[in-house]
Formats: sequence, structure tokens, C-alpha cells
Amino acid sequence: MSEMNPTADFSFFRLVARNLQNRPYRNMAMILSFAIIAGTLFSAQYLMGGAQQSLENGLNRMGADIMVVPSQYAASSQTVLLTGEPTTFFFSDSGFEQIIRLPGVAKASPEIFVATLFGQSCCSAAVQIIAIDPERDFTIASWLKENPGVTMGKDDIIVGGAIEGAIGSDLRFYGHTFHIVGRLATTGMGIDMAVFTRIEDAYTMAEESGVKAVQKLTIPQGMVSAVLVRIDPGASPEVISDEIKQKVPGTKTLTPNSLVSAVSGQLAAITWLLYGVTITVTAVSIPLMACIAAMVAHERRKEIAILQALGATKSFIVRLMLAESFSLAIIGALAGIITAAIILVGFQDFIALTLKIPFTIPSPLTLVADGGSALLLSVVIGGIASLYPAYLINRSEPYETIRKGEP
Amino acid sequence: MIVVNGVTKAFSTGSSEVRAVDNVDLRVQQGEFVLILGRSGSGKSTLLGMLAGLLRPTTGTIRIKGRDISTLSDDKMAELRSQDIGFVFQFSGLISTVTALENVMIPTLFSADGAVNRAKALELLGQVGVAERADAYPQTLSSGEMKRVSIARALVNRPSILIADEPTGDLDVDTESEIMALFRQLNSEGITIVMVTHNPDLIPCATKIYRMSHGRMVENLDSTLCLKGPKIRDEYKDQP
Repeated sequence: MSEMNPTADFSFFRLVARNLQNRPYRNMAMILSFAIIAGTLFSAQYLMGGAQQSLENGLNRMGADIMVVPSQYAASSQTVLLTGEPTTFFFSDSGFEQIIRLPGVAKASPEIFVATLFGQSCCSAAVQIIAIDPERDFTIASWLKENPGVTMGKDDIIVGGAIEGAIGSDLRFYGHTFHIVGRLATTGMGIDMAVFTRIEDAYTMAEESGVKAVQKLTIPQGMVSAVLVRIDPGASPEVISDEIKQKVPGTKTLTPNSLVSAVSGQLAAITWLLYGVTITVTAVSIPLMACIAAMVAHERRKEIAILQALGATKSFIVRLMLAESFSLAIIGALAGIITAAIILVGFQDFIALTLKIPFTIPSPLTLVADGGSALLLSVVIGGIASLYPAYLINRSEPYETIRKGEP
Repeated sequence: MIVVNGVTKAFSTGSSEVRAVDNVDLRVQQGEFVLILGRSGSGKSTLLGMLAGLLRPTTGTIRIKGRDISTLSDDKMAELRSQDIGFVFQFSGLISTVTALENVMIPTLFSADGAVNRAKALELLGQVGVAERADAYPQTLSSGEMKRVSIARALVNRPSILIADEPTGDLDVDTESEIMALFRQLNSEGITIVMVTHNPDLIPCATKIYRMSHGRMVENLDSTLCLKGPKIRDEYKDQP
């Protein structure tokens, strides 16, 4: 067939393009339907992908398999990890000694969480201070290993990706001045809103706060906020979590799986809404589009019959209708995906804050896969919707149609 | 070139059967200009549809260039239409979404020889006298211009047979004369033409004339009668 002939001045694709160009209003309903289907599906996948990517980044950064926290603060701890909402809580560090002796535990590191004051002259910003023990820490230690030029000395802090302030500049919390020596890569998780300092500097800050801050900070001796645990290769985080909860009563454990479940739960409403819209629109669109396509086909039956009289085979007619339908599906899907992407990127922070989820833009590969699957679904729907009218047209006798259509 | 033997086309209408074409025989030699006369409903257009391979006969055979087209598959029939037969409809039959020039080029999409270039299509439009309207859309063309474009389109794959169904039915007298002159010219260039019409004024153009009535071929007129033009025309105006 000449449709593949590159030297042809008029081609199959030109005919498809002309048919689409010159029926703009008729095609708008189809394009809009495809845009809604692809846009909602892409949005659902984008949100899930962004949250998962963020969790993955954040958990990799923390390097911990289990986080042990006081049971009454489990929800707050989760919030600290996921969205960085500052909080302060403690439990006895006697638990730490028991945890580190458990079989299967490779490393354990205590951390103290302190929420800074918001809108006070003593504090640069409302952030989560995470005080670490440099001897035992493996979260910041691994980052320091990747950045050999940086050391964490007295009053030095390493800030999360979302904290304002250049490296070399100072930040003040509870009236105590800290010096920024490093910045972690953005993960989309709560860790982006955290400031890492040494436990001893945190104690100094607390001691000075009575004089320097508008509100005194108390960090009780012998208390910690959380214990990060790295387990031996091959050990099960769930099994060791259970053992920790047994040995150290009053604690709860957070594992990557539990965080993923939590995020999935927080996303469930919105993702089900989006998937629901996708399914509903798809379910409504297939018969609707088939109906529109059938109406268009009915209107075009004389034109199709003329093409057949001029020598078009039935397969050519089917290909013509499929190509037009696929083109509309692709145009609509791309419009929907691009619009959804613009809205999602533009309102990314608002969405993450509203849904209380960690969020980062998914990797390019994930974006391509998400966009591709939304596009594919639209094309499949377009194909299905055009099959019925194509079948109807091919059943009719062209000459009968031509004669009936005579003015 | 075209041999029709005992062809019948019957249509079912509820419990009864209507024979639109009833046991028709017809022979068309290469280079002839055959006119089939008949009133509306006489079966002439149905016969034409079968000659063009757009309808299958209920019984009988139609041979075009020696091939029995009634046994051809749909695809082979389409191939025959694209290669050997040019079709001019009573109405313009132009595709409204493409320009006049692109309309002319459409049949080349179905031809095994591939698409002709723009220049060749323009040349054809020039031959039928509407080259300057090449980029116009059908809805902006006059009836005569549309018919000319339609003829150019029918010729683009260089068919040996041109089939025309009441090609001057919706044209004024002057345009009708111009279009028929064009058909005569094409016939003089060797293209076999089979045309159906209810208009006896066209008799002088043909080399062979048939008349159909109630689905049957009732007369085969001698071509010399064609020369008598007005007389024949007057005689046939009153025929059933």
C-alpha cells in the first residue's frame, strides 16, 4: 500500500490528519474523555509513585531497619519521619542497652527529638532537631563517609534538604547558635525538615535555654526519643521488632513496611478516589465513545462507501477508523497527562501537606512508565470504541449506501 | 471487455422479492461509449453498481477483461476497482475534509502502483479545467467544478473503464454540455465508458445505446441512430 511510500505526496496519515483537523468540534468530546481518563490515572500513579520514591529515599538515608519509639508517641514519630512535623518526647534509655544486646541487631543508635519554637526570636525556624550520638550513629555517619571533607564538631549541624540557610551560615535554636556544615539531599520525607546535631550540643542548648530562649527546654538525663536499629543481613525486621517490644515494654517499632502501610493508608482515600474516577470515566466512556464513534460512522457512511467505490478495502476502512480513534486517544491522553503533571508539580507541596504524606517527584523512568500506562489505556479504549462502528460500516453494501445517500 | 450474461439482482422486501435487474445480457467492447437509458427505478444504476463490483449479482456472471468478478473476494474486487475502473457518481462524491487536489489523489492510496505526485494530480485537474481550484475544499466548488474534480479523481489511476452514474443529473444545460464533451474526449483517447442516464439528450454522445425498463434490457439501439440525435431524443422522451 502506498501509505508506506515516503515519496507519496498524499498518504494514509495525511488523510487521517485531514479528517481530524476538519472535524474539530466532533472530536472534542472524545479528546476530553481520553484526557480525563489518562489524567486521573496518571495522577493516582504519580501520587503513589512520588510517595514510594520519597519513602525509599528517606529510608535509605536513615539506613535503619527498625525505629523504636515510646508506644504513646508512635503516631508522632511516624509523623516526624513522614512529614517532619516537629515533636518532642522521651523514654528511658535503659531500653537501648537491652536492644543492642538482642541477637540479630547489628547496630543501634539513640536519638533525641526536639521541636524548636515557632515564631520566636530565639529560634530561626520551626524544625525538628535530631540529636545523635556520633559514636553510635549510622545515619549521619554514612553521609559523612560520602562527604569526606565534612566533620561534625561542636555546635555543627547538618541540615535536611528543605531547611533554609547556606552551608557556612548559622542557625539559632533556643538561643543557641549552630553552624551549618552540611546539607542532606532532598528525600521528600520528614528528614528534609530535620536538623542533625550532636547529643552533647543538644544538652548544652537545653541548659542555656533558660536564659537565652523565651521558653526553657528540658532534656531529661537518661532519656532518649528513639533508637534506630540496623539488623544483621538475613534477619527479619518483623521478628526482631516483636522481640524488642517484648524485651522493652512500652515501646513500639516502626519498620519500612509499617511506614509503607501507613503512607498507603494515608493515600488510600485519594488514590481510590482517583482510581474510582478512572474506572468510572472508563466505564462510561467506552459506550459513550462507541456511541459517538457510531454516530460519526453513521454520518460518514457515505464517505466510507465512496472510499470503497474508489478501491479502498474493508481493512483499509478499519485501519482508517482505528487510526483516527488512536490519534484522538493519543492527543487526549497527552493533554490529560500534561495537564495533570502541571497541576501535580505546581501544587506538589500543598498536596503533600494536605495528605500528610512524604512526597518527591518520581524518577523519570517511573514518570515515563506512569504516563505510558495511562496513554496505553486510552489507546486500548479508543481501539475498543472504534471497533463497533468499523464493524457496522463493513457490514453495509457500499453501493446501497451511496444510492441511499444521494441528494 | 465487459461481458454480462443473464445477470439478475434481487432484493428481499419483507416476504416478497424485487428483481431490480432481471436476466440482463450486455457486451461492451474496448473503446466503446455505452449509454444505458431508463427511467428512475428501471434498474440501470443497480446494473452499473454490479459492473463496478460494488454489488454482487444474485445470479449470472459479469466478466471484466476476462475475469468473472462475481466470484472475486472483497479485497480482489477492491483491487479491480482501484486499478481498472474509474467511477463518477451522480452527486459529486467528493470527500469534504480534503481539498480538490487531495480528492484526486485519494484513489492512489489504494493502487498497487503507489501514490502519484502532486504534479500529476494537478495535470489531471488541468485536463478537466479546474487546476486553479486545486486547493479549494469541495463545499466551496460549484456543481460543475465538483463534477470535473470527480472525473479527474476517477482517472487518476489510469483506468481502462470509466463508469458514470447519471453524471449530469444535477447540472445546468451549459455545464452538462461541457462535461459530456469531456467524456467524449476521454472516450476518443481510448477509455471505455459505460454511462447510465434518464436523459435522452445525451444519446448523441454514445457509440452504443441500451434501454432498460423494469429491470430488463428492452432495446439495443444501433449506434448509427446516435447520429440522429434530436429525433431519437424526442422518441425516447415518451418511452416507459
